[in-house]
Amino acid sequence: MRRGVVSLVVGLMTVAGAARADGLSFPVLVPLTGFLSLEGTSQRNGALLALKEAPAGLVGAAETIDTGTSPEAAVTALERAAGGGPVGAVAASMLGTQMLAMLPLAAELKVPLVTVSGTAAITEQNNPWVFRFFPGDAVTKTAHARYVVEELKKSRPAVIYQTTAYGQSGKTHLDSAFRALNVTPVFQEGVDPTAKDLLPVLTRALATNPDVLVLHLHAGPTALLLKQAATSGLSIPVVAGSAMHQPSTAALLEPAELKGVCAETAASPVSGGNPAVETFTASYRAAFGKEPDAFALGQYDGMMMVLAAVKAGAKTAEDVRKALSVGRHDGLAMRYASDGKGNMAHSAVIVCYDGSNRVPTLVKRYDNVTGVVK
Amino acid sequence: MALALAAGGLLAYALLWASPYGLRVLTVAGVYALASFGFQIIFGLGGALSLAQGAFFGLGAYVTGILGSRYGFDASVTFPLSLLAPLLVALPVGLAVLRLDSHYFALATLGVAQVLHLLVVNLPDLTGGANGVPGVPPFALFGWSAPRGLPTTALVWGMVAVGGLIGWRVARGRLGRSLALVRDDPMAAACLGLDVGRLRLTAFVLSALYAGAAGALAVHTQRVVSPEVLEFPVMVTILTIAVVGGRGRMVGALLGALLLIHLPEWFRGLERSYLIVYGAALLLVILLAPMGLTGLWARLFPPPGRPLPDPVEPPARPARNGERLRAEGVTKDFGGVRALDGVSLRLEAGVIVGLIGPNGSGKTTLINALSGLERVDSGRLWIDGRTMTNARPDRIARAGLARSFQAAILPDDATALEAVAAARLPLDRRVEWAEAHARWALERLGVGALADRLCHGLPAALRRRVELARALARRPSVLLLDEPAAGLTDAEKAELAALLRALAADGMALLVVEHDMEFLLPLADRVLCLDRGRRLYDGAPDGVRRDAGVIAAYLGGVGA
Repeated sequence: MRRGVVSLVVGLMTVAGAARADGLSFPVLVPLTGFLSLEGTSQRNGALLALKEAPAGLVGAAETIDTGTSPEAAVTALERAAGGGPVGAVAASMLGTQMLAMLPLAAELKVPLVTVSGTAAITEQNNPWVFRFFPGDAVTKTAHARYVVEELKKSRPAVIYQTTAYGQSGKTHLDSAFRALNVTPVFQEGVDPTAKDLLPVLTRALATNPDVLVLHLHAGPTALLLKQAATSGLSIPVVAGSAMHQPSTAALLEPAELKGVCAETAASPVSGGNPAVETFTASYRAAFGKEPDAFALGQYDGMMMVLAAVKAGAKTAEDVRKALSVGRHDGLAMRYASDGKGNMAHSAVIVCYDGSNRVPTLVKRYDNVTGVVK
Repeated sequence: MALALAAGGLLAYALLWASPYGLRVLTVAGVYALASFGFQIIFGLGGALSLAQGAFFGLGAYVTGILGSRYGFDASVTFPLSLLAPLLVALPVGLAVLRLDSHYFALATLGVAQVLHLLVVNLPDLTGGANGVPGVPPFALFGWSAPRGLPTTALVWGMVAVGGLIGWRVARGRLGRSLALVRDDPMAAACLGLDVGRLRLTAFVLSALYAGAAGALAVHTQRVVSPEVLEFPVMVTILTIAVVGGRGRMVGALLGALLLIHLPEWFRGLERSYLIVYGAALLLVILLAPMGLTGLWARLFPPPGRPLPDPVEPPARPARNGERLRAEGVTKDFGGVRALDGVSLRLEAGVIVGLIGPNGSGKTTLINALSGLERVDSGRLWIDGRTMTNARPDRIARAGLARSFQAAILPDDATALEAVAAARLPLDRRVEWAEAHARWALERLGVGALADRLCHGLPAALRRRVELARALARRPSVLLLDEPAAGLTDAEKAELAALLRALAADGMALLVVEHDMEFLLPLADRVLCLDRGRRLYDGAPDGVRRDAGVIAAYLGGVGA
């Protein structure tokens, strides 16, 4: 609660003290309630930190609106934000169905949406107003499958995914990635995000004699499954989806329960790696009293690229869109460039936990997976 | 007047002041108002807590989303099909689950929503899976496409106006009044000749049509359809709108939707804390207006009384002498207890039969069996020569049998006239006729002055009169009365006895269950005494006092 108040104060200070960047505002429309509230809060914090640390001479103004988890609320939020004056870009929800709902309106309003949504479909709508600063499933699932097959030398993966847009999109790309590596999963099953007991699906998966467990679940279910796996003495390695790398997910587990668990992600700020990332992590902790994750960093990088475009002379949302479409940005997590569809992130990493603490170690980088970044 | 002013204010807001955001929120409120109109019919009027309303909403949305996005059909195709699909699902589902008790019914309908949700998530080739179907076009009809903003808002609210008007007419018409009776007491409704199952099915189907229409409009404004439209929050929103607005009232759905959809937007700037404020505001509304906003309005500004219709005598059934009802060898077991054991009975025109017996002797079970509320295990029943064995209560009522209950069952929030008119709803084609006939029945029972008084708070004697008027309004050939003199003063009993004699003189066959021998024995032409489900005595009233078996079983020392 105290941290929530701190976050709110930071946000309000940003708004209240803002001389808008060339008259443009940068609304933050993210899910702060519902099953994606953890990830949405990371998004919000990343965006607000970027606006707070805007390049010299610029002060980014932002209104934060909770989009919940319904597409309807997201569209209403976008309409509301657009009514508040000229918008430079919107930090938009990471929930795929909300993005799909906002896209037609964004095109109509001519407002760039800057997001960290992993749902592949959002950049497949021929909509020039969407920019994704988080590697899409085509990137992360390639890294995910390659790590399983090439590094761990496993050939009998059991895949457990979520029956949400996020889960189904990830599952589809995992299928393709494993197929490209000549590996066929021995087990695949979707689970509802509200399921309170994942032991049955875990038992069914283990009954097929897999040599690795591949997860593509949201944060809560990931933690639940790992806890139940640890309790039942799971002896095969686990390579989870990006939700696992979130400090808030790791906080739900004991370090021992994390031993041998790896995860794909765009970045892992808490793992450090370079001074800029460590400075970001420190600033984030100071501002929000929380550990940053890849979603926060991706949204931070995205908004920083937007602000850099404004600093470089973008006066309108259309200028910002053009800058994002053709420009490059050396962010903290990676180098970003559009593939022509709005996919800006083309790198992924694998992090692993050694069981002694909740901070993972970066064990493998997969840069420029798509070959877009020259 | 107030409604016209409110509508005018809303129109002025939309035309003059609303921003695109304001218009969008208004549009969403309109969509939910439309869905809630349907819910008011099944839940508010019919009293059935259908948790499938959100599912029908989602189904309509998916039909429009898929056909509009994938196949490019305009609303001339998508809109009717968005109504048809929920209807086709509602019909078999309704037939299967509408006879369940309230909580089982709610769970069953919730199951419908769950099944549909699972289907759309797991049929990605058809539904887009969890991502849903993006790129749904705006509402388009014959080449005209509704642009975002005022045109879309006007379109949705045009539909709301049409839907609201239809719903209002339904609520005030025979269907709405019949449903209200079914909601208040399905057993009494059935005994008044209302086909409870068919009424509920009609309401369920109507609610599905409204939900389908709302879903279709929602997806045009949202431009994407995804499994969220089938999730429980949609259903909860509709339910909350109905309760907050005022159960059973179309205006309530309208007010509830406007409030419920705007309320979170007013507090949205508080980020996630808005949910606390929203919840507190909602709680406050419910505390201040437990009967909903329309109930609060009615309490603050009571509506003026309606002019009462002139009494009109309803057409009587063809006069007929002799036997009106015959039961032979009626047996009924409850587990190991035999409540009725081969009871036979004849009721004749113009004859009052008294039915007596100690507690547990089977009197009420016999009345319930004759009126169809209990199925008999063996035996046969005829009314006016037609076989009615184990027929439904409404069929038996339509065959000419009416009954009263031990405790007069009248809807508290209905006037005496409305309560009695309900009995004429299966017979009269218009509510106005039913009320004119009801007025006649009230006058005949000497309680015409109570016509515009609420049943709630009527003294016991007057409640019995009103209930009797309700039975009489049907012009039955057979009247079964369960302890009609209970709680009456001597003078009231005398009046009641005179009244029953007059009814018998009109050719009605009466069966009167009564413990009060001083009231019954002078009244009855014949007395039937039951003991442990068996006929102990059937003969003249004078004889019952001398019958050794009756004395031993029931009267004790009274007749000795």
